[in-house]
Amino acid sequence: MSLFLPKLTSKKDIDEVIKGVAEKVVVLRFGRDEDSVCLQLDEILSKTAHDLSNMASIYIIDVDKALIYTRYFDISYIPSTVFFFNGQHMKVDYGSPDHTKFVGSFKTKQDFKDLIEVIYRGAMRGKMIVRSPIDPRNIPKYDLLFHGI
Amino acid sequence: MGTHYCNICRQTTFSGKKHIFGKQHQSSLRVVLTKFIEKVKEARRTIKKPQVEKFDCIQHKQTFWCYCCEAEVEKNVTDDKMTVLYGGLLEHMATKEHKKNTHKFWWDNKADQKLKDKVLITEEDMKRFKDEVANVLETFVEEEDDFIKQQAAVIRAQEKHRQEVFESLLERDEEPDLSNGGSSAGPPAGVSGSSSQFPHPGLQGPVRGGVGDSMAEMPWTATERGLTFIGYQDSSNSGNIHTGAVPPWLQDDPQEGTSGSSEPTAIGPSLQEFLKHKEQEKLRKLPPNRVGANFDHSSHTDANWLPSFGRVWNSGRRWQSRHQFRQEEGQKKRPKRKREQSAESLKRKPNEQLPNPDI
Repeated sequence: MSLFLPKLTSKKDIDEVIKGVAEKVVVLRFGRDEDSVCLQLDEILSKTAHDLSNMASIYIIDVDKALIYTRYFDISYIPSTVFFFNGQHMKVDYGSPDHTKFVGSFKTKQDFKDLIEVIYRGAMRGKMIVRSPIDPRNIPKYDLLFHGI
Repeated sequence: MGTHYCNICRQTTFSGKKHIFGKQHQSSLRVVLTKFIEKVKEARRTIKKPQVEKFDCIQHKQTFWCYCCEAEVEKNVTDDKMTVLYGGLLEHMATKEHKKNTHKFWWDNKADQKLKDKVLITEEDMKRFKDEVANVLETFVEEEDDFIKQQAAVIRAQEKHRQEVFESLLERDEEPDLSNGGSSAGPPAGVSGSSSQFPHPGLQGPVRGGVGDSMAEMPWTATERGLTFIGYQDSSNSGNIHTGAVPPWLQDDPQEGTSGSSEPTAIGPSLQEFLKHKEQEKLRKLPPNRVGANFDHSSHTDANWLPSFGRVWNSGRRWQSRHQFRQEEGQKKRPKRKREQSAESLKRKPNEQLPNPDI
């Protein structure tokens, strides 16, 4: 539940976290606490947070509170999860149209752990974009809306 | 007799008809005939079950050499969209000229008479083949049409959904009234997507709702295949990650100055330094070429440091996107520079008039 995961409410807090957390993957979940898919995702995040505590720091962000980030990452579907390492935004190829964030929830906790491990290893080797180890059938599908229709 | 070139042994013989009965000729002939008959066997198998396939160009324009007629013949029959495998071969074998040539070939080379029939294809066989081909072609065309219709349906569904979302974005005035009632002035967003999604154990089916402006009003939640849509993020003023704008965590806060007084009295920089030193010890053990290893956490950086040029939708060389990005940067800077230059020139002119150099 999102009760156990730290929440960030202002742009300043988010900035500090992105710039401050060193040598660990920063996981930012953008969504709303009441939304059902977000609840599912939050459960997976909180249950795995302890096991991944040496590799990742996980934070919850409400999309209505951090509008500048919602706009910057073009978050149209919630929940959306964005990954950082040492202040650098990490892109992941999930097989979906958008590599900058993960849209939706994970099917299992193991999927999330595998993804974090792949991001961590890729980042340690200097890669800024990695390929997701999750089966493409387990990745939620969505339509991407193009700007300037 | 004169010189006689034997096609099979690829030799010239001067000895007339003696050559044909020789060991070497017969063995080469046998090899040639086995190869040829293999090919015809393959073709025969398809008489009862003709194979029709889609692609062309690469694989289906093959030809084979008919030893009897000494000519290249096309193996398959195609009309650029579909091909009947081995059609050409079968057609050729059924022609009367081929029959004549086969007889001649057999007589000239003294080949085994039993094998001759294997190379010929009767007219009845051809008729049967042609009928079967007609049937198979029909079914093939039907299947192709079905496939195309399926694709069209998927594309139509996606387009429709996009249209609905787009239209509902324009219905801003009606939203405050409808957000309570939940009536379907906005389009029902429960489009059962034709693309599959992994099963959500707790999630129910489509929830009726619409889409709202995320800034001002209360947005509806529309579950589209289990995901909540929160509105079209209009970032045309500020730019977003895909257009390569400066990320918010590198931008200066308008409120940064006011919230600087977090520590009233210096607690103990020595303690902090000590802890930092401990952290740095740990850092030394980490691989030196990891992402962000040399990230200066206290640095202020300008907009140009980001190597990502944000072109998500481009395929092609990274150089292209980098070039485009730099061009756009160049265009932005030009109007600024012109203003600076004109301001400077205005300053200079009044100054220059005072000191008159003696020439």
